Amino acid sequence: MGRGSLATRVLGGTAGLLLAAGLYLGLVVVPPDAVQGDVQRIMYVHVPSIVTAYIAFFVVFCTSILYLWKRDLRFDAVAVSSAEIGVVFTGITLATGMIWGKPTWGVWWTWDARLTLTAILFTIYVGYLMLRAFAEEPLAGARYGAVLAILGFLDIPLNHLAVYWWRTLHQPSSILRPGGPSVASDMLLPLAMNFAGLVLLSTYFLVERVRLERLRHRTAEVRLTRGRRG
Amino acid sequence: MVAELLRRTWAMTWKDVTVELRARERINAMLFFAALVLFIFNFALGPDRETLREVAPGLLWLAFLFTGMLGLGRSFQAERENECFEELLLTPGDRESIFFGKLAGNILFMVTAEALILPLFGILYNLDIWGLLPSLALVAFLGTVGFSAIGTLLAAMTAHLRAREVMLPLLLFPLTVPVILGSVRATEAILAGGGLSEVSHWLKLLGGFDVIFLVVCPLAFEFVLEE
Amino acid sequence: MGNWGFVGLAYGLALVVLVGYLVFLKGRLRGAGEELAALEQESGRRTR
Repeated sequence: MGRGSLATRVLGGTAGLLLAAGLYLGLVVVPPDAVQGDVQRIMYVHVPSIVTAYIAFFVVFCTSILYLWKRDLRFDAVAVSSAEIGVVFTGITLATGMIWGKPTWGVWWTWDARLTLTAILFTIYVGYLMLRAFAEEPLAGARYGAVLAILGFLDIPLNHLAVYWWRTLHQPSSILRPGGPSVASDMLLPLAMNFAGLVLLSTYFLVERVRLERLRHRTAEVRLTRGRRG
Repeated sequence: MVAELLRRTWAMTWKDVTVELRARERINAMLFFAALVLFIFNFALGPDRETLREVAPGLLWLAFLFTGMLGLGRSFQAERENECFEELLLTPGDRESIFFGKLAGNILFMVTAEALILPLFGILYNLDIWGLLPSLALVAFLGTVGFSAIGTLLAAMTAHLRAREVMLPLLLFPLTVPVILGSVRATEAILAGGGLSEVSHWLKLLGGFDVIFLVVCPLAFEFVLEE
Repeated sequence: MGNWGFVGLAYGLALVVLVGYLVFLKGRLRGAGEELAALEQESGRRTR
Protein backbone atom coordinates (compact mmCIF):
# COMPACT_ATOMS: atom_id res chain seq x y z
CA MET A 1 0.00 0.00 0.00
CA GLY A 2 2.84 2.37 0.82
CA ARG A 3 4.58 1.96 -2.53
CA GLY A 4 3.39 2.51 -6.05
CA SER A 5 3.05 -0.18 -8.68
CA LEU A 6 6.04 -1.38 -10.72
CA ALA A 7 5.00 0.79 -13.68
CA THR A 8 4.88 3.89 -11.47
CA ARG A 9 8.32 3.19 -10.08
CA VAL A 10 9.71 2.69 -13.58
CA LEU A 11 8.11 6.02 -14.52
CA GLY A 12 9.74 7.78 -11.57
CA GLY A 13 13.10 6.13 -12.29
CA THR A 14 13.05 7.13 -15.97
CA ALA A 15 12.20 10.71 -15.00
CA GLY A 16 15.17 10.74 -12.62
CA LEU A 17 17.54 9.38 -15.28
CA LEU A 18 16.39 11.90 -17.88
CA LEU A 19 16.78 14.77 -15.43
CA ALA A 20 20.25 13.60 -14.45
CA ALA A 21 21.23 13.48 -18.13
CA GLY A 22 19.69 16.91 -18.71
CA LEU A 23 21.56 18.27 -15.71
CA TYR A 24 24.87 16.92 -17.00
CA LEU A 25 24.23 18.24 -20.50
CA GLY A 26 23.09 21.65 -19.31
CA LEU A 27 25.78 22.19 -16.69
CA VAL A 28 28.82 20.50 -18.20
CA VAL A 29 28.60 19.62 -21.88
CA VAL A 30 26.94 22.67 -23.43
CA PRO A 31 29.21 25.75 -23.68
CA PRO A 32 28.09 28.95 -21.92
CA ASP A 33 25.86 31.38 -23.80
CA ALA A 34 27.77 33.87 -25.94
CA VAL A 35 25.92 36.90 -24.52
CA GLN A 36 24.67 35.95 -21.08
CA GLY A 37 27.43 33.58 -20.03
CA ASP A 38 26.86 30.77 -17.56
CA VAL A 39 23.76 32.34 -15.99
CA GLN A 40 21.84 31.31 -19.09
CA ARG A 41 22.09 27.69 -17.85
CA ILE A 42 19.25 28.52 -15.43
CA MET A 43 16.96 28.56 -18.48
CA TYR A 44 17.34 24.78 -18.76
CA VAL A 45 15.28 24.47 -15.57
CA HIS A 46 13.17 27.62 -15.85
CA VAL A 47 11.65 27.08 -19.30
CA PRO A 48 10.79 23.36 -18.95
CA SER A 49 9.15 23.95 -15.55
CA ILE A 50 6.82 26.72 -16.75
CA VAL A 51 5.74 24.58 -19.71
CA THR A 52 5.15 21.66 -17.34
CA ALA A 53 3.11 23.93 -15.06
CA TYR A 54 0.92 25.08 -17.96
CA ILE A 55 0.36 21.46 -18.99
CA ALA A 56 -0.65 20.63 -15.40
CA PHE A 57 -3.13 23.54 -15.31
CA PHE A 58 -4.53 22.49 -18.66
CA VAL A 59 -5.14 19.04 -17.17
CA VAL A 60 -6.94 20.72 -14.25
CA PHE A 61 -9.11 22.64 -16.74
CA CYS A 62 -10.05 19.52 -18.75
CA THR A 63 -10.73 17.26 -15.76
CA SER A 64 -12.78 20.02 -14.11
CA ILE A 65 -15.05 20.23 -17.16
CA LEU A 66 -15.27 16.43 -17.22
CA TYR A 67 -16.18 16.39 -13.53
CA LEU A 68 -19.02 18.90 -13.93
CA TRP A 69 -20.26 16.92 -16.91
CA LYS A 70 -19.94 13.31 -15.70
CA ARG A 71 -19.96 13.87 -11.92
CA ASP A 72 -17.33 11.20 -11.45
CA LEU A 73 -15.07 11.93 -8.47
CA ARG A 74 -12.13 10.30 -10.23
CA PHE A 75 -11.93 13.33 -12.52
CA ASP A 76 -11.99 15.60 -9.51
CA ALA A 77 -9.16 13.62 -7.90
CA VAL A 78 -7.00 14.22 -10.99
CA ALA A 79 -7.96 17.92 -10.98
CA VAL A 80 -6.90 18.58 -7.36
CA SER A 81 -3.74 16.55 -7.78
CA SER A 82 -2.71 18.25 -10.99
CA ALA A 83 -3.39 21.70 -9.50
CA GLU A 84 -1.03 20.95 -6.62
CA ILE A 85 1.70 19.81 -9.01
CA GLY A 86 1.16 22.85 -11.21
CA VAL A 87 1.63 25.10 -8.18
CA VAL A 88 4.92 23.33 -7.33
CA PHE A 89 6.26 23.90 -10.86
CA THR A 90 5.01 27.49 -11.01
CA GLY A 91 6.87 28.06 -7.74
CA ILE A 92 10.07 26.67 -9.24
CA THR A 93 9.57 28.88 -12.30
CA LEU A 94 9.16 32.00 -10.17
CA ALA A 95 12.16 31.19 -7.99
CA THR A 96 14.52 30.38 -10.86
CA GLY A 97 13.24 33.39 -12.81
CA MET A 98 14.11 35.68 -9.91
CA ILE A 99 17.54 34.10 -9.51
CA TRP A 100 18.17 34.57 -13.24
CA GLY A 101 16.89 38.15 -13.07
CA LYS A 102 19.33 39.28 -10.36
CA PRO A 103 22.58 38.95 -12.40
CA THR A 104 20.83 39.75 -15.71
CA TRP A 105 18.68 42.76 -14.85
CA GLY A 106 20.32 43.66 -11.54
CA VAL A 107 17.10 43.14 -9.56
CA TRP A 108 15.39 40.07 -8.13
CA TRP A 109 12.00 41.18 -9.29
CA THR A 110 10.69 43.43 -12.00
CA TRP A 111 7.08 43.80 -13.09
CA ASP A 112 7.77 42.58 -16.56
CA ALA A 113 4.91 40.93 -18.39
CA ARG A 114 5.85 37.31 -18.09
CA LEU A 115 6.99 37.39 -14.44
CA THR A 116 3.77 39.20 -13.56
CA LEU A 117 1.64 36.68 -15.42
CA THR A 118 3.38 33.76 -13.73
CA ALA A 119 2.81 35.39 -10.34
CA ILE A 120 -0.90 35.86 -11.13
CA LEU A 121 -1.13 32.22 -12.23
CA PHE A 122 0.49 31.19 -8.95
CA THR A 123 -1.99 33.18 -6.83
CA ILE A 124 -5.00 31.83 -8.74
CA TYR A 125 -4.06 28.21 -8.17
CA VAL A 126 -2.89 28.69 -4.59
CA GLY A 127 -6.38 30.15 -4.06
CA TYR A 128 -7.82 27.03 -5.70
CA LEU A 129 -5.94 24.77 -3.29
CA MET A 130 -7.09 26.87 -0.32
CA LEU A 131 -10.68 26.67 -1.53
CA ARG A 132 -10.41 22.89 -1.63
CA ALA A 133 -8.93 22.84 1.86
CA PHE A 134 -11.66 25.06 3.29
CA ALA A 135 -14.68 23.35 1.75
CA GLU A 136 -17.09 22.17 4.42
CA GLU A 137 -18.65 19.50 2.28
CA PRO A 138 -16.52 17.40 -0.13
CA LEU A 139 -19.01 17.34 -3.03
CA ALA A 140 -19.60 21.09 -2.86
CA GLY A 141 -15.84 21.59 -2.69
CA ALA A 142 -15.39 19.54 -5.85
CA ARG A 143 -18.03 21.62 -7.66
CA TYR A 144 -16.69 24.98 -6.50
CA GLY A 145 -13.17 23.86 -7.33
CA ALA A 146 -14.20 22.88 -10.85
CA VAL A 147 -15.93 26.23 -11.39
CA LEU A 148 -12.90 28.13 -10.10
CA ALA A 149 -10.49 26.08 -12.20
CA ILE A 150 -12.45 26.73 -15.40
CA LEU A 151 -12.74 30.44 -14.61
CA GLY A 152 -9.06 30.62 -13.71
CA PHE A 153 -7.94 28.96 -16.90
CA LEU A 154 -10.15 31.20 -19.07
CA ASP A 155 -8.65 34.13 -17.19
CA ILE A 156 -5.15 33.33 -18.48
CA PRO A 157 -5.60 34.76 -22.02
CA LEU A 158 -7.35 37.85 -20.60
CA ASN A 159 -4.43 38.39 -18.24
CA HIS A 160 -2.05 38.02 -21.16
CA LEU A 161 -3.91 40.66 -23.11
CA ALA A 162 -4.10 43.14 -20.23
CA VAL A 163 -0.56 42.67 -19.01
CA TYR A 164 1.03 42.78 -22.46
CA TRP A 165 -0.77 46.00 -23.25
CA TRP A 166 0.52 47.33 -19.99
CA ARG A 167 4.17 46.50 -20.42
CA THR A 168 6.45 44.50 -22.61
CA LEU A 169 10.01 44.44 -21.45
CA HIS A 170 10.76 40.75 -21.54
CA GLN A 171 12.51 39.08 -24.43
CA PRO A 172 9.85 37.41 -26.55
CA SER A 173 9.49 33.66 -26.21
CA SER A 174 12.33 32.51 -28.40
CA ILE A 175 11.32 28.89 -28.99
CA LEU A 176 7.64 29.51 -29.59
CA ARG A 177 8.20 32.43 -31.93
CA PRO A 178 6.96 31.88 -35.48
CA GLY A 179 9.82 31.33 -37.86
CA GLY A 180 11.38 28.52 -35.89
CA PRO A 181 13.61 28.21 -32.86
CA SER A 182 16.25 30.88 -32.53
CA VAL A 183 18.25 29.20 -29.76
CA ALA A 184 21.44 27.41 -30.77
CA SER A 185 20.79 23.76 -31.54
CA ASP A 186 23.18 22.48 -28.84
CA MET A 187 21.03 24.32 -26.28
CA LEU A 188 17.92 22.54 -27.48
CA LEU A 189 19.14 19.13 -26.32
CA PRO A 190 19.37 19.87 -22.55
CA LEU A 191 16.10 21.83 -22.80
CA ALA A 192 14.33 18.90 -24.44
CA MET A 193 15.90 16.42 -22.03
CA ASN A 194 14.86 18.38 -18.94
CA PHE A 195 11.41 18.98 -20.41
CA ALA A 196 10.88 15.26 -21.00
CA GLY A 197 12.22 14.55 -17.51
CA LEU A 198 9.95 17.07 -15.80
CA VAL A 199 6.87 15.91 -17.72
CA LEU A 200 7.57 12.31 -16.71
CA LEU A 201 8.29 13.40 -13.14
CA SER A 202 5.04 15.33 -12.92
CA THR A 203 3.17 12.32 -14.36
CA TYR A 204 4.75 10.24 -11.62
CA PHE A 205 3.73 12.84 -9.02
CA LEU A 206 0.23 12.87 -10.49
CA VAL A 207 -0.20 9.10 -10.29
CA GLU A 208 0.97 9.07 -6.68
CA ARG A 209 -1.10 12.12 -5.71
CA VAL A 210 -4.24 10.59 -7.25
CA ARG A 211 -3.54 7.41 -5.28
CA LEU A 212 -3.47 9.55 -2.12
CA GLU A 213 -6.82 11.09 -3.05
CA ARG A 214 -8.29 7.61 -3.56
CA LEU A 215 -7.01 6.45 -0.17
CA ARG A 216 -8.70 9.47 1.41
CA HIS A 217 -11.98 8.75 -0.40
CA ARG A 218 -11.89 5.15 0.80
CA THR A 219 -11.17 6.24 4.37
CA ALA A 220 -14.12 8.61 4.25
CA GLU A 221 -16.33 5.83 2.86
CA VAL A 222 -15.34 3.37 5.56
CA ARG A 223 -15.97 6.04 8.21
CA LEU A 224 -19.40 6.74 6.73
CA THR A 225 -20.56 3.11 6.60
CA ARG A 226 -19.25 2.49 10.09
CA GLY A 227 -21.01 5.56 11.36
CA ARG A 228 -24.25 4.33 9.85
CA ARG A 229 -23.90 0.90 11.42
CA GLY A 230 -22.75 2.07 14.83
CA MET B 1 -38.56 34.87 -22.56
CA VAL B 2 -36.26 37.84 -22.14
CA ALA B 3 -39.07 39.80 -20.49
CA GLU B 4 -39.55 36.93 -18.06
CA LEU B 5 -35.86 36.85 -17.19
CA LEU B 6 -35.87 40.62 -16.68
CA ARG B 7 -38.94 40.42 -14.47
CA ARG B 8 -37.40 37.72 -12.25
CA THR B 9 -34.08 39.53 -12.12
CA TRP B 10 -35.86 42.70 -11.09
CA ALA B 11 -37.73 40.82 -8.35
CA MET B 12 -34.45 39.51 -6.97
CA THR B 13 -32.80 42.93 -7.05
CA TRP B 14 -35.87 44.56 -5.54
CA LYS B 15 -35.82 42.07 -2.66
CA ASP B 16 -32.17 42.85 -1.87
CA VAL B 17 -32.67 46.60 -2.16
CA THR B 18 -35.76 46.51 0.07
CA VAL B 19 -33.91 44.51 2.73
CA GLU B 20 -31.06 46.99 2.48
CA LEU B 21 -33.36 50.01 2.74
CA ARG B 22 -34.86 48.59 5.94
CA ALA B 23 -31.71 47.37 7.67
CA ARG B 24 -29.08 49.66 6.08
CA GLU B 25 -26.48 47.08 7.07
CA ARG B 26 -24.43 47.04 3.95
CA ILE B 27 -24.55 50.46 2.40
CA ASN B 28 -23.84 52.39 5.61
CA ALA B 29 -20.81 50.23 6.31
CA MET B 30 -19.61 50.65 2.73
CA LEU B 31 -19.96 54.43 2.70
CA PHE B 32 -18.25 54.88 6.04
CA PHE B 33 -15.48 52.48 5.05
CA ALA B 34 -14.95 54.36 1.78
CA ALA B 35 -14.54 57.64 3.65
CA LEU B 36 -12.12 55.98 6.06
CA VAL B 37 -9.99 54.59 3.27
CA LEU B 38 -9.63 58.03 1.70
CA PHE B 39 -8.74 59.36 5.14
CA ILE B 40 -6.06 56.69 5.71
CA PHE B 41 -4.42 57.31 2.32
CA ASN B 42 -3.53 60.75 3.56
CA PHE B 43 -1.49 59.33 6.44
CA ALA B 44 0.09 56.69 4.26
CA LEU B 45 1.28 59.14 1.61
CA GLY B 46 1.89 62.42 3.33
CA PRO B 47 0.80 65.82 2.09
CA ASP B 48 2.92 65.95 -1.06
CA ARG B 49 0.51 66.86 -3.88
CA GLU B 50 2.85 65.76 -6.66
CA THR B 51 3.22 62.15 -5.49
CA LEU B 52 -0.47 62.07 -4.91
CA ARG B 53 -1.30 63.14 -8.43
CA GLU B 54 0.87 60.35 -9.77
CA VAL B 55 -0.71 57.57 -7.75
CA ALA B 56 -4.26 58.97 -7.81
CA PRO B 57 -5.70 56.42 -10.30
CA GLY B 58 -4.40 53.52 -8.26
CA LEU B 59 -5.65 54.99 -4.97
CA LEU B 60 -9.06 55.67 -6.42
CA TRP B 61 -9.41 52.08 -7.55
CA LEU B 62 -8.09 50.70 -4.26
CA ALA B 63 -10.88 52.62 -2.53
CA PHE B 64 -13.46 51.35 -5.07
CA LEU B 65 -12.31 47.75 -4.88
CA PHE B 66 -11.97 47.44 -1.11
CA THR B 67 -15.36 49.04 -0.61
CA GLY B 68 -16.86 46.81 -3.28
CA MET B 69 -15.30 43.76 -1.59
CA LEU B 70 -16.99 44.68 1.65
CA GLY B 71 -20.39 44.76 -0.07
CA LEU B 72 -19.83 41.56 -2.04
CA GLY B 73 -18.95 39.66 1.12
CA ARG B 74 -22.39 40.46 2.51
CA SER B 75 -24.37 39.67 -0.61
CA PHE B 76 -25.19 36.06 0.24
CA GLN B 77 -24.70 36.38 3.97
CA ALA B 78 -28.35 37.10 4.75
CA GLU B 79 -29.43 33.97 2.89
CA ARG B 80 -26.85 31.94 4.70
CA GLU B 81 -27.52 33.26 8.17
CA ASN B 82 -31.26 32.81 7.88
CA GLU B 83 -30.89 29.51 6.04
CA CYS B 84 -32.78 30.79 3.04
CA PHE B 85 -30.55 29.22 0.38
CA GLU B 86 -33.06 26.41 -0.12
CA GLU B 87 -35.86 28.91 -0.61
CA LEU B 88 -33.70 30.78 -3.08
CA LEU B 89 -33.30 27.56 -5.04
CA LEU B 90 -37.04 26.93 -4.96
CA THR B 91 -37.74 30.13 -6.85
CA PRO B 92 -39.21 29.19 -10.20
CA GLY B 93 -37.40 29.81 -13.46
CA ASP B 94 -33.75 29.93 -14.40
CA ARG B 95 -30.95 30.30 -11.91
CA GLU B 96 -29.62 33.02 -14.17
CA SER B 97 -32.24 35.40 -12.86
CA ILE B 98 -30.91 34.85 -9.33
CA PHE B 99 -27.40 35.63 -10.54
CA PHE B 100 -28.36 38.72 -12.51
CA GLY B 101 -30.58 39.94 -9.68
CA LYS B 102 -27.81 39.61 -7.11
CA LEU B 103 -25.34 41.13 -9.55
CA ALA B 104 -27.55 44.15 -10.22
CA GLY B 105 -27.88 44.74 -6.48
CA ASN B 106 -24.13 44.45 -5.97
CA ILE B 107 -23.41 46.84 -8.84
CA LEU B 108 -25.95 49.28 -7.46
CA PHE B 109 -24.37 49.31 -3.99
CA MET B 110 -20.85 49.60 -5.35
CA VAL B 111 -21.80 52.42 -7.73
CA THR B 112 -23.48 54.27 -4.85
CA ALA B 113 -20.27 54.06 -2.85
CA GLU B 114 -18.26 55.20 -5.87
CA ALA B 115 -20.57 58.18 -6.29
CA LEU B 116 -19.45 59.26 -2.82
CA ILE B 117 -15.78 58.35 -3.20
CA LEU B 118 -15.17 60.14 -6.49
CA PRO B 119 -16.16 63.71 -5.45
CA LEU B 120 -14.76 63.23 -1.95
CA PHE B 121 -11.46 62.16 -3.46
CA GLY B 122 -11.39 65.30 -5.61
CA ILE B 123 -12.15 67.53 -2.64
CA LEU B 124 -9.85 65.94 -0.07
CA TYR B 125 -6.87 65.77 -2.37
CA ASN B 126 -7.54 68.95 -4.25
CA LEU B 127 -7.62 67.33 -7.66
CA ASP B 128 -9.40 69.02 -10.52
CA ILE B 129 -11.53 66.13 -11.72
CA TRP B 130 -14.84 67.92 -12.20
CA GLY B 131 -14.69 68.25 -15.96
CA LEU B 132 -13.63 64.63 -16.28
CA LEU B 133 -16.48 63.21 -14.18
CA PRO B 134 -18.51 61.73 -17.08
CA SER B 135 -15.61 59.76 -18.52
CA LEU B 136 -14.44 58.71 -15.03
CA ALA B 137 -17.95 57.52 -14.25
CA LEU B 138 -17.98 55.44 -17.44
CA VAL B 139 -14.70 53.73 -16.52
CA ALA B 140 -15.89 53.20 -12.96
CA PHE B 141 -19.08 51.59 -14.24
CA LEU B 142 -17.32 49.27 -16.70
CA GLY B 143 -14.80 48.21 -14.07
CA THR B 144 -17.51 47.69 -11.49
CA VAL B 145 -19.54 45.42 -13.79
CA GLY B 146 -16.63 43.07 -14.45
CA PHE B 147 -15.48 43.06 -10.82
CA SER B 148 -18.99 42.44 -9.51
CA ALA B 149 -19.75 39.69 -12.04
CA ILE B 150 -16.87 37.54 -10.79
CA GLY B 151 -17.43 38.79 -7.25
CA THR B 152 -21.09 37.71 -7.18
CA LEU B 153 -20.18 34.25 -8.41
CA LEU B 154 -17.36 33.86 -5.89
CA ALA B 155 -19.44 35.29 -3.04
CA ALA B 156 -22.04 32.57 -3.65
CA MET B 157 -19.24 30.01 -3.46
CA THR B 158 -17.35 31.33 -0.46
CA ALA B 159 -20.57 31.70 1.56
CA HIS B 160 -20.34 27.93 2.08
CA LEU B 161 -16.69 27.79 3.07
CA ARG B 162 -14.93 27.91 6.36
CA ALA B 163 -13.00 31.18 6.74
CA ARG B 164 -15.27 32.78 4.12
CA GLU B 165 -14.28 36.33 5.00
CA VAL B 166 -10.68 35.72 3.97
CA MET B 167 -11.40 33.42 1.08
CA LEU B 168 -13.42 35.91 -0.98
CA PRO B 169 -10.59 38.44 -1.47
CA LEU B 170 -8.04 35.66 -1.93
CA LEU B 171 -9.98 34.25 -4.88
CA LEU B 172 -11.43 37.50 -6.21
CA PHE B 173 -8.35 39.68 -6.64
CA PRO B 174 -6.22 37.26 -8.71
CA LEU B 175 -9.14 36.53 -11.04
CA THR B 176 -10.04 40.18 -11.55
CA VAL B 177 -6.52 41.33 -12.43
CA PRO B 178 -7.47 42.01 -16.08
CA VAL B 179 -10.41 44.21 -15.04
CA ILE B 180 -8.42 46.03 -12.35
CA LEU B 181 -5.51 46.64 -14.68
CA GLY B 182 -7.76 47.91 -17.45
CA SER B 183 -9.70 50.20 -15.11
CA VAL B 184 -6.62 51.71 -13.48
CA ARG B 185 -4.92 52.34 -16.83
CA ALA B 186 -8.05 53.89 -18.32
CA THR B 187 -8.43 56.14 -15.27
CA GLU B 188 -4.78 57.09 -15.55
CA ALA B 189 -5.20 58.01 -19.22
CA ILE B 190 -8.24 60.15 -18.39
CA LEU B 191 -6.57 61.96 -15.48
CA ALA B 192 -3.48 62.57 -17.58
CA GLY B 193 -5.73 64.29 -20.07
CA GLY B 194 -4.96 61.69 -22.73
CA GLY B 195 -6.78 61.83 -26.01
CA LEU B 196 -9.92 59.88 -26.64
CA SER B 197 -8.05 57.28 -28.69
CA GLU B 198 -5.79 56.27 -25.80
CA VAL B 199 -8.71 56.04 -23.40
CA SER B 200 -10.99 54.21 -25.79
CA HIS B 201 -8.28 51.62 -26.33
CA TRP B 202 -8.59 50.60 -22.66
CA LEU B 203 -12.36 51.11 -22.60
CA LYS B 204 -12.78 48.61 -25.43
CA LEU B 205 -10.66 46.10 -23.56
CA LEU B 206 -12.70 46.62 -20.39
CA GLY B 207 -15.96 46.30 -22.30
CA GLY B 208 -14.72 43.07 -23.85
CA PHE B 209 -13.81 41.64 -20.43
CA ASP B 210 -17.24 42.61 -19.10
CA VAL B 211 -19.03 40.82 -21.93
CA ILE B 212 -16.95 37.66 -21.39
CA PHE B 213 -17.59 37.63 -17.63
CA LEU B 214 -21.30 38.38 -18.09
CA VAL B 215 -21.56 35.31 -20.31
CA VAL B 216 -19.35 32.91 -18.35
CA CYS B 217 -20.32 33.77 -14.75
CA PRO B 218 -24.08 33.08 -15.01
CA LEU B 219 -23.32 29.74 -16.69
CA ALA B 220 -20.89 28.84 -13.89
CA PHE B 221 -23.43 30.03 -11.30
CA GLU B 222 -25.74 27.13 -12.21
CA PHE B 223 -23.13 24.73 -10.87
CA VAL B 224 -22.54 26.72 -7.70
CA LEU B 225 -26.19 26.82 -6.68
CA GLU B 226 -27.00 23.14 -6.75
CA GLU B 227 -28.88 20.80 -4.41
CA MET C 1 28.10 36.02 -6.05
CA GLY C 2 29.49 34.89 -9.39
CA ASN C 3 27.58 33.51 -12.30
CA TRP C 4 27.99 29.95 -11.12
CA GLY C 5 26.71 30.94 -7.70
CA PHE C 6 23.40 31.97 -9.24
CA VAL C 7 23.29 28.81 -11.34
CA GLY C 8 23.95 26.69 -8.27
CA LEU C 9 21.32 28.56 -6.29
CA ALA C 10 18.70 28.04 -9.02
CA TYR C 11 19.42 24.35 -9.56
CA GLY C 12 19.74 23.72 -5.82
CA LEU C 13 16.46 25.42 -5.06
CA ALA C 14 14.64 23.51 -7.81
CA LEU C 15 16.10 20.25 -6.51
CA VAL C 16 15.10 21.02 -2.92
CA VAL C 17 11.53 21.86 -3.98
CA LEU C 18 11.12 18.70 -6.08
CA VAL C 19 12.66 16.37 -3.50
CA GLY C 20 10.75 18.13 -0.73
CA TYR C 21 7.47 17.65 -2.57
CA LEU C 22 8.28 13.97 -3.15
CA VAL C 23 9.00 13.42 0.56
CA PHE C 24 5.85 15.34 1.53
CA LEU C 25 3.76 13.28 -0.89
CA LYS C 26 5.20 9.97 0.31
CA GLY C 27 4.62 10.99 3.92
CA ARG C 28 0.98 11.79 3.26
CA LEU C 29 0.56 8.51 1.34
CA ARG C 30 1.97 6.54 4.23
CA GLY C 31 -0.21 8.37 6.73
CA ALA C 32 -3.39 7.86 4.69
CA GLY C 33 -2.54 4.19 4.08
CA GLU C 34 -2.01 3.52 7.77
CA GLU C 35 -5.21 5.33 8.70
CA LEU C 36 -7.24 3.28 6.25
CA ALA C 37 -5.60 0.02 7.31
CA ALA C 38 -6.34 0.74 10.97
CA LEU C 39 -9.96 1.61 10.17
CA GLU C 40 -10.49 -1.51 8.07
CA GLN C 41 -8.93 -3.72 10.72
CA GLU C 42 -11.15 -2.22 13.38
CA SER C 43 -14.37 -2.61 11.43
CA GLY C 44 -13.28 -6.12 10.40
CA ARG C 45 -12.97 -7.05 14.07
CA ARG C 46 -16.34 -5.63 14.79
CA THR C 47 -18.19 -7.61 12.13
CA ARG C 48 -16.52 -10.75 13.37
